[in-house]
Amino acid sequence: MDTVTSYTRFPTVRIRELKDDYIKFELKDTDPSIANALRRIMIAEVPTLAIDLVEIETNSSVLNDEFLSHRLGLIPLKSERAMEMRLSRDCDACDGDGSCMYCSVEFTLNVKCTSDQTLDVTSHDLISSDPSVVPVDNNLAQDINGFDAPEARGILIVKLRRGQELKLRAIARKGIGKDHAKWSPAATVAFQFEPEIHINEALMESLSLEEKKEWVDSCPTKVFEVDPQTQQVVVVDAEAYTYDEEILKKAEAMGKTGLVDIISRDDSFIFTVESTGAIQASQMFINAIEILKTKLDAVRLSFDTEEADDQFGELGAHMRGGGM
Amino acid sequence: MYGGEEEDYEKEEEEEITQEDAWAVISAYFEEKGLVRQQLASFDEFIQNTMQEIVDESADIEIRPESQHNPGRATEYSETTYKINFGQIYLSKPMMTESDGETATLFPKAARLRNLTYSAPLYVDITKHVVRKGDDGDEDGDREDLPKVFIGKVPIMLRSNYCTLFQNSDKDLTELGECPYDQGGYFIINGSEKVLIAQEKMSTNHVYVFKKRQPNKYAYVGEVRSMAETQNRPASSMFVRMLSRAGAKGGSSGQYIRATLPYIRTEIPIIVVFRALGFVADKDILEHICYDFSDTAMMELLRPSLEEAFVIQNQQVALDYIGKRGSTVGVTREKRIKYAKEILQKEMLPHVGVGEFCETKKAYFFGYIIHRLLLCALGRRAEDDRDHYGNKRLDLAGPLLGGLFRMLFRKLTKDVRGYLQKCVDNGKEINLAYAVKAKTITSGLKYSLATGNWGQANTAGVRAGVSQVLNRLTYASTLSHLRRLNSPIGREGKLAKPRQLHNSHWGMMCPAETPEGQACGLVKNLALMAHITVGSAANPILEFLEEWSTENFEEISPAVIPQSTKIFVNGCWVGIHRDPELLVRTLRQLRRQVDVNPEVGVVRDIRLKELRLYTDYGRCSRPLFIVEKQRLLIKKSDVRALQLKEASESGWHELVAKGFIEYVDTEEEETTMISMTISDLVNARNNPEEAYSKTYTHCEIHPSMILGVCGSIIPFPDHNQSPRNTYQSAMGKQAMGIYVTNYQLRMDTLAYVLYYPQKPLVTTQAMAHLHFRQLPAGINAIVAIACYSGYNQEDSVIMNQSSIDRGFFRSIFYRSYRDEEKKQGTLVKEEFERPNRENTTGMRHGSYDKLDDDGLAPPGTRVSGEDVIIGKTTPLPQDETGSQAQRYTKRDQSTCLRHSESGMIDQVLLTTNADGLRFVKIRVRSIRIPQIGDKFSSRHGQKGTVGMTYTQEDMPWTQEGITPDIIVNPHAIPSRMTIGQLIECIMGKVAAHMGKEGDATPFTDVTVDNISKALHKCGYQMRGFEVMYNGHTGRRLYAHIFLGPTYYQRLKHMVDDKIHSRGRGPVQILTRQPAEGRSRDGGLRFGEMERDCMIAHGAAHFLKERLFDQSDAYRVHVCEICGLVAIANLKKNTYECRGCKNKTEIVQVHIPYACKLLFQELMSMAIAPRMFTKEEKKKVVHKKVP
Repeated sequence: MDTVTSYTRFPTVRIRELKDDYIKFELKDTDPSIANALRRIMIAEVPTLAIDLVEIETNSSVLNDEFLSHRLGLIPLKSERAMEMRLSRDCDACDGDGSCMYCSVEFTLNVKCTSDQTLDVTSHDLISSDPSVVPVDNNLAQDINGFDAPEARGILIVKLRRGQELKLRAIARKGIGKDHAKWSPAATVAFQFEPEIHINEALMESLSLEEKKEWVDSCPTKVFEVDPQTQQVVVVDAEAYTYDEEILKKAEAMGKTGLVDIISRDDSFIFTVESTGAIQASQMFINAIEILKTKLDAVRLSFDTEEADDQFGELGAHMRGGGM
Repeated sequence: MYGGEEEDYEKEEEEEITQEDAWAVISAYFEEKGLVRQQLASFDEFIQNTMQEIVDESADIEIRPESQHNPGRATEYSETTYKINFGQIYLSKPMMTESDGETATLFPKAARLRNLTYSAPLYVDITKHVVRKGDDGDEDGDREDLPKVFIGKVPIMLRSNYCTLFQNSDKDLTELGECPYDQGGYFIINGSEKVLIAQEKMSTNHVYVFKKRQPNKYAYVGEVRSMAETQNRPASSMFVRMLSRAGAKGGSSGQYIRATLPYIRTEIPIIVVFRALGFVADKDILEHICYDFSDTAMMELLRPSLEEAFVIQNQQVALDYIGKRGSTVGVTREKRIKYAKEILQKEMLPHVGVGEFCETKKAYFFGYIIHRLLLCALGRRAEDDRDHYGNKRLDLAGPLLGGLFRMLFRKLTKDVRGYLQKCVDNGKEINLAYAVKAKTITSGLKYSLATGNWGQANTAGVRAGVSQVLNRLTYASTLSHLRRLNSPIGREGKLAKPRQLHNSHWGMMCPAETPEGQACGLVKNLALMAHITVGSAANPILEFLEEWSTENFEEISPAVIPQSTKIFVNGCWVGIHRDPELLVRTLRQLRRQVDVNPEVGVVRDIRLKELRLYTDYGRCSRPLFIVEKQRLLIKKSDVRALQLKEASESGWHELVAKGFIEYVDTEEEETTMISMTISDLVNARNNPEEAYSKTYTHCEIHPSMILGVCGSIIPFPDHNQSPRNTYQSAMGKQAMGIYVTNYQLRMDTLAYVLYYPQKPLVTTQAMAHLHFRQLPAGINAIVAIACYSGYNQEDSVIMNQSSIDRGFFRSIFYRSYRDEEKKQGTLVKEEFERPNRENTTGMRHGSYDKLDDDGLAPPGTRVSGEDVIIGKTTPLPQDETGSQAQRYTKRDQSTCLRHSESGMIDQVLLTTNADGLRFVKIRVRSIRIPQIGDKFSSRHGQKGTVGMTYTQEDMPWTQEGITPDIIVNPHAIPSRMTIGQLIECIMGKVAAHMGKEGDATPFTDVTVDNISKALHKCGYQMRGFEVMYNGHTGRRLYAHIFLGPTYYQRLKHMVDDKIHSRGRGPVQILTRQPAEGRSRDGGLRFGEMERDCMIAHGAAHFLKERLFDQSDAYRVHVCEICGLVAIANLKKNTYECRGCKNKTEIVQVHIPYACKLLFQELMSMAIAPRMFTKEEKKKVVHKKVP
């Protein structure tokens, strides 16, 4: 690296909370565009597996074939393998009939109700050809709840009455959320700009205790609190602030404009990622970075061609200068 | 939930009930009555009483042989008379006779699927008396009983007393393939469900006085449309008119009063009518009109009339005067008098009486009409209101069918008489079984119900559209259709009055639900608790009046009338009473104890000194809490008992029987003081000074009951601009949902079913009784009101594609096709099969590959375009020549799928119809996924089409990670003022957060502030705003976005059913212009206005292209000599005009085919249109023409 002032920044990530299907982390020293790119990729471009082709042999249930296929498609499948797998349309090892180890996983389902009670056909009834690709089941790992806990019963597909039967073969394929939401590994991904809250202590002291309480209560979320001992207003949870500006309005209404100063930092983001269970939330983030990198590689590769240079013009020069 | 009254359990006994308790009462009402009670009650009345009455009222058929010369046949009796009498009728349960003669009970499901009629056979006992009179005069009787002769089949209303489903449990209904939520109230005719729309009419036997708008010949008009109760005749109208004060013309002293009589051409002075009725002396007459001689003003008004009739001073002259103006001409005076007498007796005011010695009553009534006219003329009383709902009656299924049945039964008896007369005349043995043609009634009823033309086929005076196909789009639309009513006033009539909402509609008609446009205000819908009287006999009332010392006309002198109260029963003046207060009190008391039918209307008009009692059918009434001494009679304990269902017989009827609630009709309502809420009563009691009234007699059960079915689905309708509620009422009927629970067992021609319907987060109390939770029609969508990327402008919305992927507003569309193997004669029969190109002509160009060997596409087949789904052929008549085998022996009659649709074969039904012919119905299903162009709406008349779909990452998101399903444009709100939608949204947010349902019932004390506070407590901005981030850039949006769950409906209008374009395609045969309509792949009309545009632009060439080249361009050859079309043989290149013997001077002309057609048509009318291509020369052409 030269001594030329570089625009390069080195974003940092600090994980605050980590569960299988949930992660909360800070992303610092970067722009909203990068943060948003990551968010968008997590939702729409991290590949997973989902049932994409259903061959129905027998269906005497109340739901029609299309309905069932749609429901099957939406069942999240454990997709740790998805990154290595091939997209069905790019696969040259098969003719797309599903029996291909590189691009597809086969499932079968064969249920018939013979009792007088209605039978719930759930994701447990789906039998996978690949033990690593199975329907998501949050409770298999922690099977402590009672046997009949609703979560333990898997994802309901259809209910069968006596004599009704369902027999089908389903093929799961790799795909991305952009093509269909069933391939999206994210339940939700959101970030917020980290707020900085400065209370104008002098002005605050001009308020009576009643007024303080009233002001604190005017915020829908619990950001401030009146300390019971010191009777001072303190910030308890700055991140709970949603930029709803209610307290600013309240302060203004009380004639105390400038009671509090709130700055939103646009280089620090707090991410909340929830996964459907197809991929671990943390893995999802890692995959997203991976995909972002390949995407950037694709952009960089296109510099080599002449028209790309023209196309990007100054931007191309800038990025070359940035020299990643 | 939000600010509802807390119940005080301490001092509950004798405690006033709360508004919440009123809902328990309302629940009891709907539990017992359902929502289509008016239909069922009316039909049951028809079956149980009216039908027998109609049979009873028909006179015996008496047949005497016409004296005919029959040589060689001498009878032993000189005269034989036959008497046929129809007695008791019997109705069986609905039955069906198969073509092989097997008879079995019919269930509605089978009737719907097999296109049968759900009807029950009707039998009647017939007795035949044969009376033979010998030459010697002694009689010889002979009596024969024919028990239970079949006289026809009567369509049965579903869920009525005679329906097979009557009082079946929900489980039984499900097992019979019925929807337990379906309430019946309709008929099944040839497999299609038909509703009888209630018809509104003016009430009969009612005196109306109207002021005429000047300048007019008449100043005031009094009218009565009189109709006797048991008479099937058009009402006989009587008009009594007072002339305007004479102007320059005539110069006579002026205000004569004259009356019209039926069949009399001119108006008759009223005094003449009195004299003709036998009241000759002036004093007598005036007594009948004025009652009070001290009323000089009124007497003065009568002076001109008295003077006018001065010349006619006795009954005979008066009758002659009337008779002369009748329709008979050139008869003797005696006959004229007799004729006039007859008219007075039988035709004038028939409801007063048509027998003899009715003159006194008639004179009193006639006098009363004039009295009322004079009161109005003197300005003591305002003119009557034609649009007041008390003056309206509703004809429901019962009376409508009654009228039809009466007519058909008359026809039947007439036919029987005709047949028997012929038999007797020909000396044949009479056989009643042959005489009774059951088809008359069977097909007569079926015809009217199937077509909606009420009355006999091909006769005048039929009303169209009385019976309609039941709307099955969504459950609410079905319910609303069953509660619809129609005013048969010309749609073109510009008069706004009958269309307007009238004060008297309160609680009877829904103020929101009416169509827009031509039928606005003429088609109405019943409010939820409106009750239409079924009608009861007037006799018990008359007896009661007799008992309670009502004086009739024979007993009184007219002089006492002014001091006492006149009593009318069903518009007919029956007498007077001197203590009306007591009479009314006892009458009401008895009615509240159900000793008198609770439907009876008691109207005491104190000012007019009248007591009007009504027992007739078709009055609108509604239940109200009875209030005495500013206190509700119903107490908390009663409501508690109702809720606990302690006694088995507890229920709505019990509340009525105990006198807590009574039905008040529109006219009686005018004499009551109704408090709007229970708290109004409490206020009136606690501080009477400030109270609106101290004399409450009733209390509303709940003001939200003024709404109808569709209006009750709207949350917070009391916060919307009123037309928005009207729009939603119309749109709610187009929403998709679950229209019945048995939709999979039905084969409706069109059906829409939503994949994942949800019950609304924000509901009204009334919805519980409309089963909207069980059969919902919408989804609680997360709706943001925002401008975002501009793809939601002008009433379009942005929709979340990821939500759509996950099944948001996905729906199934079913279309059923039907066909049958028709028979022509005995030999020629169509056949379902796979048509073969070898021997079948007229094959479709679609694919036949989808057909099975039986000629039907099997379930699970994917079909599209013009694929054939039912293969059928008719044999072609064999060629007589028979020289060589015909190439084609069959003609293709297959059914193709609609060319613009595709889908899967869902179900195939193969059965036989009523004639035993093979009959097939095929249901095709297709999945409709929301896409750009599909139509959606909230419940507040805010409709919009999808303008763009964005995937989740492109949608704006909140800090919590919520992305909206729908983004609507904020400009849709201010001008439309649908505040209800905004309140629904924030209440929905609270409800979702607390896991409860929000209550959006109108006219409750829920306030926005309460909801806002609740929302604030949930940790949201109190007015529902949220900070959102742009999905494309990740930046925070400057504006705060109003976001929350709002119940949205998917409407049936979808782009895929509308998209259409055409380059070239089919043309009409006659004009060769492009066909019309998408279904025929027609062209798009280049209409007058488009034409005007092109002219204005000066784009003449383009215009010619549109109108000519692209339409019906044609080429003709014209003889230059005669200007007519010549013969052209283009192959041989020869041209000839035979008439002119001209083979050279022929030109080619391009004209539209329609033009050529016109010329030919003109020629057929002996008009020769000639086309000349050159400027006319001097030479005289027309001499040479052929």
